[in-house]
Amino acid sequence: MKQHQYVKVALPLLMAFITADVVQAHHSFPAQYDIDKPATMSGMVTKVDWRNPHVYFFMDVTNADGSITEWSFELANVSAMRGRGWEKDTLQPGDLLEVSGSLARDGSPLLNATEIKRKDGEELLSSGSRL
Amino acid sequence: MNNHVLKTMTGLALAFALLPLAAPAQEARSGQSRPTPRYPDGSVNLGAAPGEVGHWNTGTGNLSENFVEMDGAFLVNPDDIDKVAPFRPWSKALVQYRLDSLGRDDPHPKCLPNGGPRQFHTPVGIEIAEARDRSKIFILSGGGPHSWRTIYTDGREHPSADDYDPSYFGHSIGHWEGDTLVVDSIHFNERFWFARRPTGMVHTDALHLIERISRPDYDTLHYEVTIDDPKAYTRPWTASWNIPWANEDIEEYFCQDYNIDVEHIVGPGGVE
Repeated sequence: MKQHQYVKVALPLLMAFITADVVQAHHSFPAQYDIDKPATMSGMVTKVDWRNPHVYFFMDVTNADGSITEWSFELANVSAMRGRGWEKDTLQPGDLLEVSGSLARDGSPLLNATEIKRKDGEELLSSGSRL
Repeated sequence: MNNHVLKTMTGLALAFALLPLAAPAQEARSGQSRPTPRYPDGSVNLGAAPGEVGHWNTGTGNLSENFVEMDGAFLVNPDDIDKVAPFRPWSKALVQYRLDSLGRDDPHPKCLPNGGPRQFHTPVGIEIAEARDRSKIFILSGGGPHSWRTIYTDGREHPSADDYDPSYFGHSIGHWEGDTLVVDSIHFNERFWFARRPTGMVHTDALHLIERISRPDYDTLHYEVTIDDPKAYTRPWTASWNIPWANEDIEEYFCQDYNIDVEHIVGPGGVE
């Protein structure tokens, strides 16, 4: 099997496991986030809260009218994030990111960060709070 | 990414992908683990062997009598609800309401304790610590509010309802039947949802649990629970699952520390 074939087989299966079989949030994911409302946004990290029950980071995101909104991004608990290869300094203020995920149902500037990509293209294994 | 890493990822992915297929049988693995650890007198040790560390890596398991396909804490096919348990009409309607409202009203995210079988599938882990000099077994729960439950093994009986205020973990007495720890619990309060999956499971103050906990090999805890709650269910029913061992201590985790999710848990209606 060639490398790209391994990637094609392994990554979708691994992601299917991460997103479907083990849910590590301490709350009901769909009660807080609407999986039918995906969003992607870019911005600069302003703060990282490496804490339980969920790790959060925050970014300033520039709106279409030029104004800036501080968005909150939810991840899993500290232990689960460490299991995905993260450490408390994986993200730092000033980092430029593109983040995708599901919007909060209450309309607040809050996203469950399921996909995170640095400006240089590096992807960080996330899947939000669902593992 | 080199070939070795990719092959490892493929193997892991396939193993994870096959887990749900193995889950219905929920049989202990065999031939892949060290033997069950035992004390010098031959009885089973449900914790780490001397000189080692570890805990039970909870997060697995569905509290259902029959296998139902689930996505997180929800039934993939809503019509499967009758496979979960022998509900009475009112309890089925309440579970259905809680499922339809996407688990919005679950007390657990407010950091209340994970009583009943929920202790055995709340993530972050449990440690089962037998204090023989005190004739107690403590179940230390890493998830939720970082709490513990006491199982008395000194031969005492349950107190009367007049002498015990209903509680999150109830009153638990345990004894060994061969290699299986059998725990009998009553006197629960109704201020928690007693299962993680499916969400919304109902119990009443009549809840009586009989848990049978065994360790068929070093890396496997087999948990079986019989739910006897005649106010909510038409007959006693049983569910079981396996919990894997993790060779590390439970990390400190307090739900209360930074629980900023609560105000955003609004359910399907969003904000009015």
